[in-house]
Amino acid sequence: MSSTSTARVAPIVPRGPAPDAHRRRATRRRAARPWLLLAPTLVVLAVLLLWPLARVVNLSFQDYGLRELVSGESNYVGWANYAEILGDSYLWTVVLPNTVGFAVCCVVLTVVLGTLVALFLNILGTFWKTVCSTAIMVAWAVPAVTGTYVWIWLFDPLNGLVASALAAIGVIEPGTVNWYTDRLGFYAIATLNVVHHGFPFVAVTVLAGLLTVPKELYEAATMDGAGAWRRFWRITAPMLKPVFAVVTILSTIWDFKVFAQIYLMPGGNGGNAEVFNLGVWSYIQSFAQGKYGLGSAIAVLLTGLLLVITVVYMRTLFKEEDL
Amino acid sequence: MKRSIPALTAGALVLALAACSGGGGDDDPTDAGGGADDGGYEGQTLTVWIMEGTNPDATGYFDGVAQEFTARTGAELDVQFQPWDGAHDKFVTSIAGGTGPDVAEVGTTWTAEFAELGVLADLTASIEGAGLDGDLVEGLAEAGTYDGALYGMPWYAGVRSIIYNKDLFEAAGIAGPPTNWEELTAAVEALKASDPEVIPFPIPGDSQYSLYPFVWGAGGEIATESDGTWTAALDSPEAIEGLEYYTGLALEHGSSTAAADTWNEADALAAFEQGNVGMIIAGNWTVGRIAQDAPDLMESIGAFPIPSRDGGPAGSFLGGSHLGVWSDSDQQDLAWEFVELMSTGQAAADWSEQTGYFPGQASALAEIAADEDPLVAPFAQQMLEAGRSVPLTPAFGQIQGAKTVEAMVQNVLTGRMSVEDAAAEAVAAMNETFSAGS
Repeated sequence: MSSTSTARVAPIVPRGPAPDAHRRRATRRRAARPWLLLAPTLVVLAVLLLWPLARVVNLSFQDYGLRELVSGESNYVGWANYAEILGDSYLWTVVLPNTVGFAVCCVVLTVVLGTLVALFLNILGTFWKTVCSTAIMVAWAVPAVTGTYVWIWLFDPLNGLVASALAAIGVIEPGTVNWYTDRLGFYAIATLNVVHHGFPFVAVTVLAGLLTVPKELYEAATMDGAGAWRRFWRITAPMLKPVFAVVTILSTIWDFKVFAQIYLMPGGNGGNAEVFNLGVWSYIQSFAQGKYGLGSAIAVLLTGLLLVITVVYMRTLFKEEDL
Repeated sequence: MKRSIPALTAGALVLALAACSGGGGDDDPTDAGGGADDGGYEGQTLTVWIMEGTNPDATGYFDGVAQEFTARTGAELDVQFQPWDGAHDKFVTSIAGGTGPDVAEVGTTWTAEFAELGVLADLTASIEGAGLDGDLVEGLAEAGTYDGALYGMPWYAGVRSIIYNKDLFEAAGIAGPPTNWEELTAAVEALKASDPEVIPFPIPGDSQYSLYPFVWGAGGEIATESDGTWTAALDSPEAIEGLEYYTGLALEHGSSTAAADTWNEADALAAFEQGNVGMIIAGNWTVGRIAQDAPDLMESIGAFPIPSRDGGPAGSFLGGSHLGVWSDSDQQDLAWEFVELMSTGQAAADWSEQTGYFPGQASALAEIAADEDPLVAPFAQQMLEAGRSVPLTPAFGQIQGAKTVEAMVQNVLTGRMSVEDAAAEAVAAMNETFSAGS
């Protein structure tokens, strides 16, 4: 109804007896229209995203265990869960450094490697571009669980390819070194896994951006004597700023909340508390220990952290007028 | 709390249905077995959750059981297989959502926890009514008891002993299976000396059940109870001695490999199957697994009970499964019919034969123990003479979830901590969980 009536109203506005009233009503209708059209999407988002989020926040203020889960009762304890987490030195010395350090390394490596691959793909002819894109897409298509097991096997301390290769050149003796028990070794393998799984997305997205940059800019710059390095920083980087912003933010979010790749690695599911990140810690507290309230508080903390990082990042990357 | 409304509604609906069927007089647990042979459940379907992977031919087995069940009761059987991985989570979510089955296989360490939550039905009257109460394997019945009542019907059980490679033992000139710690150490050193490529006795860092026999074998305890309060005891001198001996095998006698620091039992078994591992702690059910994975190795494997310090079998965790009836099921009688069918007679015997696990009925177990099979008798001896259970409190489930004991072993194996420090840390964590209540 709204669309037909607005259509009829619009032309008669100038001739009407009370143009202001008409215009106001028309403006209101026009303002309401996008919301009406968006409503189905918003409802779905609210059900899928907002409700679980609200539920997790609600849980984080409760001492919620199996008993509450079964009975459906609430058991509010105020900020106790947050106090317990924030007052735990384990958060500051192990979990947070693991999460942040790992994410920073992964994001930097993923974006750099992805960009390099995109630049490389961009100079290839159509045939080889297709072949190489397909090849890297395979890495992306492999499910995280499968990919993780492949890396675990590669680095198996006794029979793995890496151990055998190192043994063959006489660096180590198989079975004497176990990378998984060491925090740095553990995360080095996890980083390889996550970067390998994440760079194709960056490469493909940046490649799509590269194709939109007018060739004339590069030609003109080359005429002026700019080298490849300079062309990249003076033309490609500024032109693709929004693309880089998107891939960096998405990578940051993904790498902060990495779970399966850590949990599935030897020691990552609880045996070695030195290698937990926020996601694994939250899972262990919630599901292995039945402390759903505490686990939720950790999850809220992770969400808050990501929100802050994203906002700060957007602010520094774009000036106010760009947004 | 809106989310629990559907759950509550579902629960109320189930209760209402239960009340309706109760009007027919067949909801009274004490009258279980009354309608056993004349059917009377036509048109009903019983939903059952069974753990995946215990029986290599589970589908074939349950096809047979379903036929028998329908013949007896007239009802249909719907068996759904659940993977052990994440099974606890799945149970918990189904409890919260009111979407559980009628009967489920419940790991023995979970039964007390679920019983306390009111998820499982009290089976005491049914078990007594069927005259089965005097013939249950003790350790299993103990684990299925909560607050004096039986919530889990003993179904099958298993125990860990040591499986060894006879060829490697022979090559190392070891006379016979070790019967105390001194002989075990000697065997490790002989294996190491005969061939440096051989891993004599891997110490898997991600396995709590491989450690306990050494704690118990030295006279220690995991935790002790007094007046309903549990206290961790892994820092007692006896437990420390066991932990020191166990990790010392790897650290001082070279029985293990750094790779094993993060192994679980499955990893140790996989290494054993490759043929250059001297011995491993393994469950009686793994014999069938080896036969399947490495049939060539079967000729050369043997088993012996895990020795205690001064000789004789050391305590070893008696694990297994109960069959539990869900308290909100509206088919309590039919559920018991199924539980009885599964845990007694031919169905139980077939299950035990096909899976390599021991039956939950004491008389059936005694029959198997009398068998002289060299790959069965040592396990049966360990189970009958020294079968032990872990602390029977829901809090211990949380401790297992947190992998406190595994972390302790790994901390020692990787050299991060001394035995005393690692034990002290584990004890502190355990006591915190015990004192927080379940």
